[in-house]
Order: sequence, then C-alpha cells, then structure tokens
Amino acid sequence: MTEPTPDAPYIALKAVQKGFQIGAEAVPIFTALDLTIPRGDFVAIMGPSGSGKSTLLNMLAGIDSPDGGELRIGSARLDRMGESARSSWRAHSMGIVFQLYNLLPMLTAAENVELPLLLKPLAAKDRRARVEKVLDLVGLAGRGGQYPALMSGGQQQRVGIARAIVSDPALLLCDEPTGDLDRKSADDVLDMLRFLNRELGKTIVMVTHDPRAASCARRTLHLDKGQFLEERRAA
Amino acid sequence: MGYLGLARRNAWRKPLRTGLLMVCVAIAFLIYGLTASFQHGSQGAAGASEDLLGVMSAAGRGQSLPMAYLPRLESAPGVAAVAWMTRLRGFAGAETNVIAVSAADPARLAAVNGPELGLTPGLMAALNGARDRVLVGRALAEAQGWRAGQRITVTAFDMPGAAGSRDWPFEIAGIFEGAGPSTDTYFVIARYDYVNALRARGADSVDAFILRPEETVSSGELARSIDALFANSAAPTRTQTEKQFLEAFLRQFADVGLIVNLVVGAAFVTLLMIVINTLVLAVRERRFEIGVLKTLGFSRRRILALVLAETLFIFAVGGGIGLALAKGATLLAGASLGLVLAPLILGKAIALILLLGAVSGLIPAISAMRSPVITSLRTR
Repeated sequence: MTEPTPDAPYIALKAVQKGFQIGAEAVPIFTALDLTIPRGDFVAIMGPSGSGKSTLLNMLAGIDSPDGGELRIGSARLDRMGESARSSWRAHSMGIVFQLYNLLPMLTAAENVELPLLLKPLAAKDRRARVEKVLDLVGLAGRGGQYPALMSGGQQQRVGIARAIVSDPALLLCDEPTGDLDRKSADDVLDMLRFLNRELGKTIVMVTHDPRAASCARRTLHLDKGQFLEERRAA
Repeated sequence: MGYLGLARRNAWRKPLRTGLLMVCVAIAFLIYGLTASFQHGSQGAAGASEDLLGVMSAAGRGQSLPMAYLPRLESAPGVAAVAWMTRLRGFAGAETNVIAVSAADPARLAAVNGPELGLTPGLMAALNGARDRVLVGRALAEAQGWRAGQRITVTAFDMPGAAGSRDWPFEIAGIFEGAGPSTDTYFVIARYDYVNALRARGADSVDAFILRPEETVSSGELARSIDALFANSAAPTRTQTEKQFLEAFLRQFADVGLIVNLVVGAAFVTLLMIVINTLVLAVRERRFEIGVLKTLGFSRRRILALVLAETLFIFAVGGGIGLALAKGATLLAGASLGLVLAPLILGKAIALILLLGAVSGLIPAISAMRSPVITSLRTR
C-alpha cells in the first residue's frame, strides 16, 4: 500500500482491464478504463445492460479484481491485494447497498445491521448502541426487532443502508438501490443517500438505470461498451 | 448477537432439519454412553482390580485346587495376604434367577479384599455370628428385594449338600456396598467353613486362592512365580489379576469390547455421513448469504469458523442430550445392570463431540470458504 499525495483523487482507476472467459472465447469488458472520483463526491453510473456497470462496482467493492491496470481507493491498492486483505479492507472502508437488500432472513433488522460490527473489536453493549443510532438515522427507531419478511421494501432498503453505514465507512457503493422500490420509497432512499453524502461526507458511487435516481448525484457518468461516454454534472 | 449467536441462528434457520440432526447425534451418543457405561460398570471389567491375583487350576475354571496349597502360597515371597474361595452357583425361586455365592473365610477375605468390597467391621461381626450367615451385595439385594435378617434358600446347580439336597439355607447378616459404583456387588459372600462342612463332595478344596501382593511387588511377576511354584504338581495353577480374569471370563461369551467398538463405530460413521451430507446441502442452499457475508468483510477464515461453529453447536446440543439420556438410563436401569457413566467416559464423549463436530463441519466449511464472492452472489 502506498500513501496517495494530498491532492490525489479518492478513487483512481488507471488503464483498468477486465474481461471474462465464456467457454473458449475471451470477452473483454474494459480494455483501458480510467476514472477519478474525489473524496466526498456522489457519482451515479448509468448505462445499458452489459455495459460493465456491475463489474465496475464489484471491482470498487473489492469482490472482483481487475486483470490489469491500477485501482486505488484512498491509500489502498485493491489491484495488488489478496483475498484476505480485500476482506479486511471491505470490513473497514466500504459499505454496500444492494438492489434486493440482501438481508439475512433469520436475523432481525437490528441483527442484520450489527453484522459488520461483528468484525470489529467492540463490546456487545457498544455494538447495540451503534445499531440503535443508525436505525434512528434511517428512520427505523424501535423497529430493530422486526424480521425482514415483515417489513416493506422501502424499510428493508433502509435497513440495508443502515447496515452499510454502521461501521462508518468513507465509501458507500450502491447497486440499483431504488430498482425494487415504489416511487415514494425510492424518494426516501435517495433523500437518505443525499443526506449521507452532504451531511456526513460519504463518498457514494451508485449504479442505476433510473434517471431520477441519477439526478440526485453530483455527477452522472454514462458507461457503454467499457468506456465512459459522457459526463453530466448537477446544476 | 455475537459471533456464536450468528452460528446458532444459522443452525436454527431450518428447525426441523436441525432438530433431526440433533436427534441423530443424540442417538449415537446415547449408544456410546450406554455401551461405555456397560463396559465401565460392574458387569464389565473396568472396575476390577489390577493388583489382586486369583490362583486357579490351569485345567479350567471347573477344576478345584487343594487347600494344601495354602501354606506354600502364604510363604511365597511377595505375598502379603491370602484368602480362598469356593463358588456355589444356584438360583433363588425360579431357575432363571441365578445367584452366585462365594464361600470364603471372612477374616482372610477382609484382609485381602475388604476395602474393595466395603466389608466393615460391623458386617464382619454379623457374618461371624453364625455359620449359615451371609453378606449380600447391594446390587443383588436391591434386585431381589432382600434385606438384613431375612432367610433365603439358594438351590445349587451342581453342589449338593451332605444329605443330598441341593438347597442351601442362609440368613442375611448384612448388605455390603462395594468401594464404588464400578464394584461388582451382585453376589453373596458365605462362610467357607459352613459350605465346606456340608457339601457332599470336594471337601477341603477351593475354586481359587486370592492373593494380595506386597506393595513393592509387581502383580505380573508374582503371578509367574506362583505358577512356576506349582508347575510340576498334580494340579498346576494359572494366576491372573482380577481384571484379567474378568476380561477372560467375559470373552467366553463374546468379546464385549470389540462388539462395543463395532457398534459405536458403525453409529458414528453413519452419523458422520448423514451430518456431512445434510450440512453440505445446507451450506449450498446458503451460498448467496455466504456471499453477502463475504461482501460485508467476513474473511474466508471467519466463514470457515462460522460453519464449523454451527456444526459444533449441533453436535454439542445433540451429544449433550444423548449423554443426558444415557445418564438417566444408567440411573433408571437399576443395580442389576451395573451401568456406570464415569467422568472418564464423559470426558471421552466430550472429546468425541468436538472431534466429530469438527470433522463433519470441515467439508461444508471448506466449500463455503472457497466459494468465490461473485459466484456466490449469482446463486440467488
């Protein structure tokens, strides 16, 4: 791991390559992808299916690795990390919000939120206090004892957001966070993300198909055929 | 919810499946607990002494030795005390109600084997009160419902009295307890002088001499020297420790140890196959959730530990239930079965629970650990 210079971008991809092997055929996704995102930015990434949005998000989350090039987040060189180091990085530096929430059904909302804290040296009392605090932050105070199956989609997504921020990571990655929600719930979730970006300074990268969701971001990048085609900045 | 709490919640997500697995584990450990309790109990040889020596005829258990051997045994180097014993096997009431009577000299028996059998001075005084008095072991007394002061009749299988009758009347002078739960107390101690005086044949002979070696003397060496002493006599001897004797005696019917090991081994192998198969399927069903945990930062080692903790939880609960049932069975079985679930057995069982839990969990745990995050997340 090398320290970035003070004015270096928070996220930096340089000539990142990534492809998949389908049978005997090698299918390239990115041949030389460049991207920089400063700390505290809120970036939406849009693009058609198969454009590489999810692959990019997976690489930013450290659950997939580039075939070549450089991928730096903060002071971490993800492209050089092994599986164990990337697990540790994910536990401490990144939160992720999924389209279908991905809550564990046998755990209550509070227990789902507590999961990332099990990886930290915290006493049970401190874990509970932090869980209550973030549940309160996402508007679910007093709902911690409910199981996901008994909650609406919007509530489940708020639990997912609470789980993503409970360990206070600097980076929040969102994979279609409103893709499975009705209009009202989607607006609530987007308000929440805006709040996390503007008030708490989280750097957010959101993959979405929804232009309304993208309009909440400070920047929108359009990805197609492995290249960023255009960039729109919020007014 | 701590880390172990997460493992417990994972285990209970399918209560019926987990419950059935626990029942499998419980039954296997119930079998283990009962068979080990039998081996370790008074019907097995585990409670027998490794110091006391029995001198019997080398020609077989049915052959007697002359009482004339006594002075040579008493004067043999390394012998601290000598007692002798003649067996009277018979029945009380129904012929299937078999009773074993050991006729011995009370004072000598107390000197050689008194502490192990729990022969107190009070019991010895009561036994010496009359020639037809006997002491009854606690297990036998409870099984027959006998009490001190009661008169009983034992009908011998092959030892008629002088008048030709096979009925031997006795008066119960007291109940001896044995030194511990593993001590065999399922027999009667009678007076040799009474039995010897009244029996129709074999007078002044004994079935066995019982020796207590001096503390500094090895039982094995003393046994060899005793047998050498009578090697060229009319009735050569075979000298064994009480434990060797009992083990050889039990092997006449079957190799109990081998049978127990085979039964327990078969139960555990079957159990392992069932549990491994079920857990592999259970982990496969949860690959997506394991992918989510990995995405949240759970390392491969933590996933391995999580699945192992889950299987250990199943084995701990199931094994605990099985051992508790085994303990209950040993208490309910009554003294006649002489089952003893000793701390040593419990210790071995706990070690087995940990070992089998770890072995069962290893294959599914490694499978969960190795599954790539991306692949896992696509299994929804």
